[in-house]
Amino acid sequence: MIATPDQRLDALRGPAPRMHHNARTLAALENNPRCMLRAVLDASGSDKAAIAAHTGYQAPFGQSSFALARGNVFETMVKANGCAELLRVLRETLQLTLPEVGYQDLNDVGGDGRAESRHARTTHLLTAAARGHGSDTLYDHPMLRLVVGGHPVFLEPDLVAFRVDDRFHVVEIKSFPIVDDQAAPAQVRAATTHACAYIIALRAMLAASGIGPESVSDTIVLIAPKDFTNRPTGAFVDARKQVATLTRQLERIQRIGDLVELLPEGLTFDLAADDTGRPQRPAQELAEALDQVPATYYPECLNHCEMAFYCRSRARADGSLDVLGSAVREQLGGVDTVTMALGLARGTLTPNDDQVEMAVALRHAARLRVELHNSPGAAGAAS
Amino acid sequence: MSRVSALAHLEAMEAMEAMPLTRFRHRHLSDRPLVVIPLTMAGEAGTPLAVLVGESRRSSTLLVVGQPRNRDQRFAFAAEFGRIVMGYIDSCRQDRLEIPSRGEERRSRYTSAPQILVPNNGGIKALSDLGRMCRFRRTDGPYPVPAVVPELGKWLTFLVETAEQAGTSMLLPMTGLLGEHWATGQSALEDQNLASLMAWISPPDGLTVQEAMADAENPELCPPAGPATSPQFDNTYLAPAMRRFDTARATGNEQALAEAQADLRGLLSEQLNPTWRLMWTALALLRGVDEAPRAAARFERDCDSFTDYSDYQDSGDARPQPKRDGAIRAARRLSRLERALADFEADMAFDDPYVRADQRSLGEAFAGTVVAAEPDRVDITASNRRVPRPRVTVRTLDPVRLVDDTKLISPTMPPGHKAEIVSIVRDGDASLIMVEVTGGMGRARVPRPGTVPVVEQHIDYLPDPGWRPTPVFPEADQIPWTHAGDPEDSETMDPVAAGQAATEEWGDDN
Ligand code: SF4
Repeated sequence: MIATPDQRLDALRGPAPRMHHNARTLAALENNPRCMLRAVLDASGSDKAAIAAHTGYQAPFGQSSFALARGNVFETMVKANGCAELLRVLRETLQLTLPEVGYQDLNDVGGDGRAESRHARTTHLLTAAARGHGSDTLYDHPMLRLVVGGHPVFLEPDLVAFRVDDRFHVVEIKSFPIVDDQAAPAQVRAATTHACAYIIALRAMLAASGIGPESVSDTIVLIAPKDFTNRPTGAFVDARKQVATLTRQLERIQRIGDLVELLPEGLTFDLAADDTGRPQRPAQELAEALDQVPATYYPECLNHCEMAFYCRSRARADGSLDVLGSAVREQLGGVDTVTMALGLARGTLTPNDDQVEMAVALRHAARLRVELHNSPGAAGAAS
Repeated sequence: MSRVSALAHLEAMEAMEAMPLTRFRHRHLSDRPLVVIPLTMAGEAGTPLAVLVGESRRSSTLLVVGQPRNRDQRFAFAAEFGRIVMGYIDSCRQDRLEIPSRGEERRSRYTSAPQILVPNNGGIKALSDLGRMCRFRRTDGPYPVPAVVPELGKWLTFLVETAEQAGTSMLLPMTGLLGEHWATGQSALEDQNLASLMAWISPPDGLTVQEAMADAENPELCPPAGPATSPQFDNTYLAPAMRRFDTARATGNEQALAEAQADLRGLLSEQLNPTWRLMWTALALLRGVDEAPRAAARFERDCDSFTDYSDYQDSGDARPQPKRDGAIRAARRLSRLERALADFEADMAFDDPYVRADQRSLGEAFAGTVVAAEPDRVDITASNRRVPRPRVTVRTLDPVRLVDDTKLISPTMPPGHKAEIVSIVRDGDASLIMVEVTGGMGRARVPRPGTVPVVEQHIDYLPDPGWRPTPVFPEADQIPWTHAGDPEDSETMDPVAAGQAATEEWGDDN
């Protein structure tokens, strides 16, 4: 009997509960869309942090309770009293003309907090609104769905979509500050990435009812603390480029169904947890299972993926140039390992046809390094 | 990055130890730097939590904000830290040296300048945020603060601005200093972690580089160098300690408060001390590297700008730097930064054969052996004067990409040597470059001995960065632009806005 992709994915995860896509997995989508290991782990809902920890490479992430608390306090404050502060910013700071405001809480559906029910209700309400029925303007915590690698994932954004000029706008509430009208670019970018996923998901949802993409604006409204205060301010972020990029990447991500077909029969990342949740699977065996799936490590993984320390150790063991990062990598196009690069540089390896030019340049560079090492007053190695 | 530097990283990866990227240290190091390790509170933008500061390894001062969300405590912290920083800055304002004045320009300058060393770029950002928070504060009106608070704010902002300019040495991140001189076998991202970087350059006694690297990423063994603390530390230790502090303060229990304070200080000093030791070890290593010849002249420029800013502060109508640059100020700043970068790169290439090797591998400079010379060649000028114009041919294996007529200078010839490329001819793997010597030969009709390269001499040439005119920007008003906003920076001019800035909240007030 041939297993369906979903069955294969469940088998990869084992009996552990499914993990859902979150901010970090979405960022990883944008940053390393081609990594097969990550794609398979995410699609199967495997717990990457637990897997990494069990192999002895604890993920380098954690969240401070201070940051968490601050984020929650800020979001609550912005949304308090029917989003009074949010409305003030939209009207005063961003100069938007808002009609009468209706507020719709989509956090649960009459006590039903299941993703499916919430998604159904979100779809119902937002589609009706797009058609001009209903008077709501603010939708708190809608439940969206995004298809990644042919596999639907629920996104539970803590955001509000609202209707202005007959369009939906995605609102991102973040607790990093906008100081003197400027925010840290990396943080804005990360926030935009999330919002882009929401825009794409929202458009797909409306498209199912024949409503065009122009009904969702690709300008995001970012709400964040003003300067060093607790008062919110707002800014428009043009996400057009990032929406296009993410759309392209989502299209390019191989269909998960095709990916799992390539994996060996019986492969699983099951940790074989006992009753107390403690993993019983031999770590070595788990590592061997992981090694069956190709990964494309690069240093930025350290910021985005729970598997980073594991993959880095693998890349280091292989002598892969990927561990040095793009600045070095760019100088060595067509060469993959340290051994090969140094072999070409020292003339102990013969270049293949594609490497001839690179080999000449490397031999020249190596001669210069030797000249420098031998020159009087050469900088000594550290000690 | 060039292939030569890339190779240095590969060598480091192969040998599992750091490899030199430069012959010299290109930054001036003060005999008495002020080491500052700021910590900020997670989630509260730029809110100070603690700082460890001092002028020597053995004497550090720990300042802690018990409850960073509390306004009074933050300003008490800012005032204390301000006194230390201003004490240090004052100590650099002791001696002034008269300098021979050309025209109306400056007549004297301080003989020293401050040097603040922080662990990483995040440390600079933390000081920048603190500067922004403090410089608009008022000593009167609502929420008055001690005068040292806005003073600290202005000076920190000044120092942070200098740090953006290549080649300056008044505020530097240690990771940047080390990374300029050493290549590691890890990525630039990992090099931003001071402990990881030091693991490659000088692992702790008894540890291999691999072991030291692993420790460096374990927050329990190597607490982060800040400004963020590790989330585990926050959740396990800091949050409960802060709660005890808050409770003790709320109930007014003096003894409990003292204990809670001592607890917090203990916790934070444990987090900061490893980085403190690392900073001084790193500094000692850097002092062991020879300073580049041209670093001294750059340091004098630091002294100049320090003197300028100091005199402006003394002038009585010193205003805080504007929140945002107006168009004129922004254009000036950009132009200044570009020039500084070009000058710094040219200086480094002239001083340092390693940096030149980078340029040589990119084809932007060359070195080789003189294979032919016409030392007696002369030219007749337009005014009918005979001038020596010797020509020599240099054979080099460098992949030269310079074009004819490029003006050249040479670090391996006596000062003042100038030449121009006449022609470049390929000769198998090598290039034969004919250059004409145009300057640095003295005023006589025959060149001074030693000023013209001779056959078999090894010589280095690089493009002459030349003299560039200072760009002229419209003068907005009398205020020296380095210190004040353009009129279009209305924030500084409009008293209402200025008043708002002074009373602006800072987090919540509980
Ligand atoms: S850390 Fe590993 S699994 Fe994660 S994205 Fe990078 S290479 Fe892929």
